Amino acid sequence: MSHVDEGTLHAYLDGELPSDERTALEAHLGQCATCRQTLTEQRVLLERASALLGSTRPLERPAPPFEQLRRARQRSPWHVRMPFAWAASIAVALGIGYLFRTPEQLTPNAALAPPAGPVALRERAKASPVRQRQSARADKVVRSEGTASTDSYIGPQSRVRDVGAVAMNSSQLRNATPAAAEPAPSVIVSGAPALGAVRRMPVTTQWPVISRGTAASLLGADPVGLPGLSTRRIQRNPTGDGTVVVEQTLDSATVIQIFQRPATALASTDSSAAFTPRMLFDERDRAARERAPARLDRLARFVGRLRVEIAGPLSLDSLNRLLEQVEPLP
Amino acid sequence: MPDDIADVYRSTYPALVRFLYRKVWDAERAEDLAQEAFARALVHRPENTRGWLFVVAANMARDEARRAAREKRHLTLLKSEPDAVRSAPEDEIDADTQRTRVRAALDLLTPRDREALLLWDAGMSYDEIAAQTGLARGAIGTTLARARRRLVEAYDAGLEGGQHVARG
Repeated sequence: MSHVDEGTLHAYLDGELPSDERTALEAHLGQCATCRQTLTEQRVLLERASALLGSTRPLERPAPPFEQLRRARQRSPWHVRMPFAWAASIAVALGIGYLFRTPEQLTPNAALAPPAGPVALRERAKASPVRQRQSARADKVVRSEGTASTDSYIGPQSRVRDVGAVAMNSSQLRNATPAAAEPAPSVIVSGAPALGAVRRMPVTTQWPVISRGTAASLLGADPVGLPGLSTRRIQRNPTGDGTVVVEQTLDSATVIQIFQRPATALASTDSSAAFTPRMLFDERDRAARERAPARLDRLARFVGRLRVEIAGPLSLDSLNRLLEQVEPLP
Repeated sequence: MPDDIADVYRSTYPALVRFLYRKVWDAERAEDLAQEAFARALVHRPENTRGWLFVVAANMARDEARRAAREKRHLTLLKSEPDAVRSAPEDEIDADTQRTRVRAALDLLTPRDREALLLWDAGMSYDEIAAQTGLARGAIGTTLARARRRLVEAYDAGLEGGQHVARG
């Protein structure tokens, strides 16, 4: 027997070598000092690799009860994420923004209307005097925005607002001194909501309004939305592709759209539907998907049998967190 | 039979979370995705639940990674925010640094090597890893040997290179 290769030694160390091979290997090890030496080295390597991986284990928490998973597919109760408190903080931030608005700024309805004249809107937003009251911190963010690469999807105006909104919800509430905190709301009301809304909200004004019952029968399941928010209306896609949008109001000026359709109508992008083991490594497929235009750049997840996407005049971060709270409407 | 899935759930959930964590690097997100995978298993009723779960989880993690990449710039902006008040205890910083280094080292593995290593670490047998990855069973030992060596080498190189690798 020639010297044993590393792969065989690892299989041996892992206890995965078939018994006949194991017997042969052990016989060889008894006679071959070189292979014994290699085995020792490989054992050290294996243990180091295991230790490295072991050092990055997540904090292990017990699994939520299976029944709960089956019943509702909701978050387990000990995931303390306070969805309502969080949504409320956004509402408060936007509410303050609403108070600060000057009369010439856009009405809520205009903010949600299809993009009639984005350039004009932007000029108005820029001219807004509130904008001048941005905090030094916000200015810093704006400057760093200027040096960053362009984003084809979210314009700089809405980005400024995104950063402000997130700062309001996380670091600012937690960290800022009162003096530093005060100017922050002016970032949020920088006139950008309209632009954020126009750019990010898909236009569904032509979609027929339907009842909740119709939506349920179209979807084959209860429509989903954010618990605790009022539903403004439910519409369906006129092309009949099974997509339903639930519009909910976060506050008087902010509408969130929750697009949903049966996951089966979307087999090509349902990663579980087209399951094959080789999908994991199909680089060609991956490359093809990455070349595809990022047309649907909304966030998406599955809720029961529905594929759900969310859109609204909020940061991706905020939308993502809202999306996590989506559940079947009562 | 849902009871079978319940059994798999009890035995595999922590391993699936761990597997996902090494891909998304966010414990809560990993838990969410693991639960999502099990919920999908309830709908799809796959024959080999365990294997199916890991494939679906890997796909979800990949989708997640793409989305994360899109948001990366956004987060980078947020991180530039001054955050002087927050201070982490020493061991938390160490754990953070350690995770960053291991993550950077894992990133340097080929997708195939990394997958095999993470599946093994999640408690899968060579047979299961072979079924999962399409590799021959006889190649798993070699794949794992290479993956482990590269992980350790990349980690050590990262230590020597200071922040160079860890940042990448």
